[in-house]
Amino acid sequence: MIILANGMTNEVTRRSDAKGVLWVRMDELPRATGWQMKPEGACLGELCVPLPANKREEWIADADDWVWFCYSDFADMIGQKYVRDGEVWSLGSVPQVRSVGLESAIAPDFEVTERNGNTLRLSDLRGHKVVLFTWSSW
Amino acid sequence: MAQDSGAPEATDKWFDRASPTYRCVVDPTHQISSLFGWVSVPSAAWIDEDGRIVRSNEGTYPAPTTIRFGLGKVRVGDSAFARATRDWIERGADSEHVWSHEQLAERLKPVDDDTRLAEATFKLALHFETVGDSEGAWRHFTAAERLAPDNWNYLRQGWTHKGTLYASLKVLKRTNYLRKNSDKSYYDPMGLPGENHHRYTEPEWLWTPAVRRIKQLLRR
Repeated sequence: MIILANGMTNEVTRRSDAKGVLWVRMDELPRATGWQMKPEGACLGELCVPLPANKREEWIADADDWVWFCYSDFADMIGQKYVRDGEVWSLGSVPQVRSVGLESAIAPDFEVTERNGNTLRLSDLRGHKVVLFTWSSW
Repeated sequence: MAQDSGAPEATDKWFDRASPTYRCVVDPTHQISSLFGWVSVPSAAWIDEDGRIVRSNEGTYPAPTTIRFGLGKVRVGDSAFARATRDWIERGADSEHVWSHEQLAERLKPVDDDTRLAEATFKLALHFETVGDSEGAWRHFTAAERLAPDNWNYLRQGWTHKGTLYASLKVLKRTNYLRKNSDKSYYDPMGLPGENHHRYTEPEWLWTPAVRRIKQLLRR
């Protein structure tokens, strides 16, 4: 199964009994979605979303000898849109990330590949003025 | 930053021609436009030393630009954004072109459900294009177009899937329709002094000067 998120393509394990629901193995969750489970809830960088107490057992479940997280139900709760075609799930932006940006005006961080093959994170450029400029060949 | 699903093959020759002295990156999944809410190119943001966005615009041509296609061309852009950028680099927060919190809030305001679903759909299309499933890619490109019909990034990248000629004709057809039937602009005004803001620019064909001359003569 493939998850498209944050500009990355991640191959992850498919839960054998998943039917139209996106279950992500807990150990694959950070790589596949950017989120990781912490005592305070599901966290994406500085942003943490508590899981509803009545959903915790339903969304975190054992199967196939692993612990799984019901990501599609979580995405529905936070308003993150997703679309599925066969074994590929594509996740849209997390609305709360945009809200945080709105309050602080801090530019959303991202990781891209430079032309020379090096990886560049926007946050690596702190301390410098940055002019971010997009263009395309089309 | 080259925002192009065909990168680097589609973008290398342009990078080489520009002989850049700045950092050049490729973004084949349009990740950065999604994060900054841009729907067209060129777009740009100024980010200060603390990592804060202090301005974000579309239509940020660095100079007057002529885009040629077959027997026609369009003229777009001006030097307003380049002048303002130099001013911000020299004067930082004292630059008159730095946006207020209200201006930024308007730019970064939340987007609706269809826009967010369009983003997920468009990324799915790009994936199918990458793995060579042309039919799947086209299905999702057209779905994204229906969900976000004003997002030129989605439209033009999607049309390019059918070839450059197809994409050029679609752009001409759609801009021609919008020029005649809409008050919208291809780019929102940047709000900069000396800006030569344009709506959907009318193409100039090879024969346009001759037609203009004939019209002048007839008017006499």
